[in-house]
Amino acid sequence: MHDLFFVGFLLGLVILGFRRPFLFVLGYVYVDIVSPQRLSYYLLNAVPVSLIFFVLAVGGWLVKDDKSGTRLSFRQVVLILLLAWCGYTTLHADFPYAALAKWAWVWKALVFAIFLPFTLRTRLRIEGLLLFMVLSASSIIVVGGIKTMVSGGGYGSLNLGLDDNSGLYEGSIISTVAIAIIPTILFLARHGTLYPLDWKVKLYTAALVFACLLIPVGTEARTGLICIGVAAVLLMRDMKRRLLYMAGVGLALAVAVPLLPQSYTTRMHTIQGYQGDQSASTRIAVWQWTWAYVQDHPFGGGFNAYLQNRLTIKLTETPGGTAPVNDVAHDQARAYHSAYFEMLGEQGFLGLGLWAVLHLAGLVRMEMLRRRFRRTTAPEEEWIAPLATALQSGHIIYLVGALFVGIAFQPFIYMLVAAEIGLDSYLRRVRPVRAHAPMIACRPDARQDMLGIRRCVAE
Amino acid sequence: MIDNFALLLSHALLALTAWRLVRRPDLDRDAGVEQPRAWGRRRDA
Repeated sequence: MHDLFFVGFLLGLVILGFRRPFLFVLGYVYVDIVSPQRLSYYLLNAVPVSLIFFVLAVGGWLVKDDKSGTRLSFRQVVLILLLAWCGYTTLHADFPYAALAKWAWVWKALVFAIFLPFTLRTRLRIEGLLLFMVLSASSIIVVGGIKTMVSGGGYGSLNLGLDDNSGLYEGSIISTVAIAIIPTILFLARHGTLYPLDWKVKLYTAALVFACLLIPVGTEARTGLICIGVAAVLLMRDMKRRLLYMAGVGLALAVAVPLLPQSYTTRMHTIQGYQGDQSASTRIAVWQWTWAYVQDHPFGGGFNAYLQNRLTIKLTETPGGTAPVNDVAHDQARAYHSAYFEMLGEQGFLGLGLWAVLHLAGLVRMEMLRRRFRRTTAPEEEWIAPLATALQSGHIIYLVGALFVGIAFQPFIYMLVAAEIGLDSYLRRVRPVRAHAPMIACRPDARQDMLGIRRCVAE
Repeated sequence: MIDNFALLLSHALLALTAWRLVRRPDLDRDAGVEQPRAWGRRRDA
């Protein structure tokens, strides 16, 4: 039954895709986020669903889509360079087989992020992509939200519908992503054209945002709490009634904190006393190891280079800590627990540099669009600044969450990056920046100088 | 039970979204926006 449901849904998408090929692109987005083949028991798990949708998406674009005015943007070039560099480090990796296993999914995420902006040719397509991303993620978030409400969740024990802790189904990753998409959910509710804002949309939006906020509670991922704090500050930027908003946040906190599970509040206290917490102290030890490693290997060790680390961690007692007094712990093959150190250790200074340029350029471009369209009076442009703000806010939340989670190549985030590039390219195409009119007008009969330049005089 | 409810809800909304997208003419071409000309194509073509 489960399997037939997924097969029926995917077939429906394929049929619609033959009418409008952009649906193939959305089909790939859905498959990549939800992984129906991994939720399936016998029908889909042997079929390369992801590959089929990728071929259909690229084929549909090549055959039927309008490609006029299509340009390769700066960030797509950076993505291509990052892809090439990752390929090179994989060929020279410290652990060739382990590196190949990660390369197998990283290259797909990067290639799709390079391709996706070409297909985002209309406002509706950008909206459709964001809706598909949010609704696909909601299949995991709603499960987590309801289970947290019912049972309170627990670190590593919240089952999100799939047990293998990969992709978005991992606790810390879904905690960061769930908070990062809140600004986009709010944008879609306010400015979406596919579902006009009525009571049903308001109710679903409120319920989904609430479920997103519950994910870090249910997974007890400390990163999620930090992301919620960042999101609360970012959402205030364009708020008209800031005092009312702050009062609302304060009231929500006062109501929510006593209702939080005891295990959650205990774990959140360890954010302050990290010296006494083995998990947090190990991270710092891994980061120190990575820094020392790249001094001798400036080009990085390829994917999964962390497998070679051997760590000795000294723990000191702190109030609320999980370790006894002056304990020493040993660990090995500890993951980076930070996207920044993941990039540095695996791809070296060059890889980290490319990755940083990609993300910083995204933030800067969204800021430029925000400022350009913030005070627009044209009704057809009113959605642009809020979308740039929402994408930028999600991006900042991701970059903060990525300080503590190794999500440098998380495909969902690359789709968000591709949506930013798509919005930027779309606006360059349909709303190019008009050159300012000269302040001093030239008369047609103005005299020319020796170089043939007309001398303009203020009249 | 909870897993199935969430899957059903999200997939119903995804299906509705796909259906609404397919029916919109502005999915492939923005309404009222002049598209740039393809290379070599005349303005009045």
